[in-house]
Amino acid sequence: MSIQRLFLGKRAEALEQKLNGDNPPPPVEKWRRVKDIVHIIRRDFLAMVSLAVIVLLVVLAIAAPLIAPYPEHGEGHSNQVDVGNGRMDIVDRRLEPSSQYWIGTDDLGRDILSRVIYGTRPALLASLVVVTCAVLIGVPLGAVAGYYGRWVDEIIMRITDLFLAFPSLLLAMAIVAFLGPSLLHAVIALVVSWWPWYTRLVRSVTLTLREAYFVEAARSIALPDWVIILRHILPNSLTPVLVQATIDIGTVILATTSLAFLGLGSRPPSADWGLMVKEGRQHIETLWWYSSAPGLAIFVTVLAFNLLGDTLRDVFDPRQYR
Amino acid sequence: MTLRKLLVLGLLLTVLIIPVGAQAQDTTVLRVASTASVTTWDPNLSFSTEALYMANIYEPLLWINAPGAAEPFTPALATSWEKSEDGLVWTFHLREGVTFHDGEAMTSTAVKRSIERTQAVGGASFIWLPLASIDTPDDLTVVFNLGYPAPVDLIASSLYGAWIISPKALDAVEADEAYFEQGVDGGTGPYMLTDYTADVEVVLGRFENYWGGWQDGQFENVLINIVPDAVTQQQLLEGGEVDLALRLPPASYDSFAGNPDYAVHVNSTFFNYVGFLNTTRPPLDNVLVRQAISYAIPYDQIIEVGAEGLGTQSRGPVPAGVYPYSEDVPQYTQNLDMARDLLAQAGFEGGGFELRLTYAAENTIEEAFAPIIADALAEIGITVSIEPMLFSQQWEEAKADPTQAQDIFLVLYWPTYSDAGSDNLWSLFRSSDVPFFNLSYYNNPDYDALIDEATVLAGTDRDAAQVLYTQAMQMLVDDAPALYLMDVGNWYAVPTYLEGFEYNPNYAFATFFYPIRLAE
Repeated sequence: MSIQRLFLGKRAEALEQKLNGDNPPPPVEKWRRVKDIVHIIRRDFLAMVSLAVIVLLVVLAIAAPLIAPYPEHGEGHSNQVDVGNGRMDIVDRRLEPSSQYWIGTDDLGRDILSRVIYGTRPALLASLVVVTCAVLIGVPLGAVAGYYGRWVDEIIMRITDLFLAFPSLLLAMAIVAFLGPSLLHAVIALVVSWWPWYTRLVRSVTLTLREAYFVEAARSIALPDWVIILRHILPNSLTPVLVQATIDIGTVILATTSLAFLGLGSRPPSADWGLMVKEGRQHIETLWWYSSAPGLAIFVTVLAFNLLGDTLRDVFDPRQYR
Repeated sequence: MTLRKLLVLGLLLTVLIIPVGAQAQDTTVLRVASTASVTTWDPNLSFSTEALYMANIYEPLLWINAPGAAEPFTPALATSWEKSEDGLVWTFHLREGVTFHDGEAMTSTAVKRSIERTQAVGGASFIWLPLASIDTPDDLTVVFNLGYPAPVDLIASSLYGAWIISPKALDAVEADEAYFEQGVDGGTGPYMLTDYTADVEVVLGRFENYWGGWQDGQFENVLINIVPDAVTQQQLLEGGEVDLALRLPPASYDSFAGNPDYAVHVNSTFFNYVGFLNTTRPPLDNVLVRQAISYAIPYDQIIEVGAEGLGTQSRGPVPAGVYPYSEDVPQYTQNLDMARDLLAQAGFEGGGFELRLTYAAENTIEEAFAPIIADALAEIGITVSIEPMLFSQQWEEAKADPTQAQDIFLVLYWPTYSDAGSDNLWSLFRSSDVPFFNLSYYNNPDYDALIDEATVLAGTDRDAAQVLYTQAMQMLVDDAPALYLMDVGNWYAVPTYLEGFEYNPNYAFATFFYPIRLAE
């Protein structure tokens, strides 16, 4: 089974069959492919676990208000309660883990477990937005560069070089420092520093696809370039992009939380894992669970996306396909 | 094989990490962890964190004592001083037999040249603005002639811009303005600068001929490690790798207070937190709204969360203990009903507007209490968005265009020298054409007149000036151009094997190593 087949458009499939007329490939059962993927994932225990973790995280993010034992911000932003006489007071500051608060409470009396659960929202949402935007910008540019070659390729690639010359986190830090710290700005900064990777990736795939018979055939029947890119090049280059995007979701979570930790991302009082690690760091000697809980959440999430990405690579890479 | 290597490595690391509980057994070296980096070694220019080192290498004419001491000043290079009736002429009599580290004798000429160079190039040159000329009738007498009355005793005891420097060093720096930056000094203080690695360490060595003399138990060398992070400093102190850690995480207070191996010194400081309200545009241009906000703030919680309870609610912008602080200045206490009433009177029934609050991202105390302000204002229907920025950015934005700037600006402020009348009250609230530190953009001619009169009067009659200052502070509370949040306290955990550690809020950025000695 070739990499192209997996996502091949009907028309190109027919063309390819025509070209390979003497030796038509055996008809492929639709379900066979799905079964293959399921089989590999099942065989790979770690992948199963990571998939389960990711599903769990998504469920936590969507249903956080139903699952978390306490509201994200306590009574107000903190755990303030009315004590009468027009006055408010903070209750339950910095408690140790107990049956009431499973991983204790923070500086402002908020339940840490609840905040870790709510923390899945900014983490997943931000990384999904970053990766989606980076793909939407990077992939078409890469396809255009690879397909047209020559000066178009030169210009686009030199621009990506410009961005890739800086370490992505450093570039993001510089951009956020300029725009001012907020989650939105962190997301913008990460999109800016992330898209060139996809451009490079897609360009390299496109370079080989351009010479493929079915593309040549499409050209020979005078299909316009945009149709060829849209129908034949892009669908066939999506596999490595999908693998890369899965791994990147984890990496971007690490980046957004790092930015928050450095004071360049989410702002208090948001329940952001990076921010929570930062807040808890002051108490690392006494209340070690304070920053460890969000830290563990980051670790598990990033690991899950990485393992899943690795497995997807195994599935889709024909050379490693067994 | 690799596994075994890993195990061995792990074991080695564990052994290395186990604290050896090292204690200073002799007086060879006092090991200190501090955040203070060095922006310049030039004592005239110094106006930043290197004050920690300057205060041990150089001396001023006088030291000002901590509030509550029997005498207001301790003589340093001057032994006595007097001022004329009109407060315009101050005469200082210098200590005899003092030599600089380079062997030069300390004379009136050295004093004159030191202060004149500060006036010319100094980072804190403004403190000498009242000074018109300096006379040196003899080697041990210095006369300051002022253009208008000013408290020269306070100015001469400043931590910035008042160091007395060797004429030889002054000659050298006149020839080459980067002379001091190679890590040399020209002071009279108990310690000399012996070694310096930028942002890593500063080593001070004993000056044997120090006029104060040396006794058993005092340290020969002081090794200061520059450690920016409080948690790391705590680990160094607890691991016995330093004898003194000058910045510990606020939250570690309880663990040190409960440990018999440490004496915890709790002090009041001259630092306070102010939240400027932008008075240039609606809704904060309305005094009722500003008062409502002042009533909505839970001051005790800000102290609890921001300073771990080690602070007191401010009375106006002058911190307790520093002139012209007054107990007569009233305070707001949280009263949400009152706050809602005032908002309604102002035409903002139930709030319904948004405010943008900025704070310095590097300030962990502001970071901790900013959400409490947002919370409290949410209670009266005001939405606050919190925006951390680097202080430099926060300040740039505030100075650029007041009508476009933030609504609430949190700032940590302290007087440059121990007179908050000519500093806090003047700098923070006196109107000015271009904003500098008046970031409420408060503009009240009555207030300006009071302050102008009081600052001049303070040079001759401090008590009379106090009356005017108190009136002015009353005005600041009524007009509420700012939130007077808290005067912060601080604390140090000092191992019990050391004695003599003192904290003087007048010199918040300095720790004096000379009085510290090994306990018997």
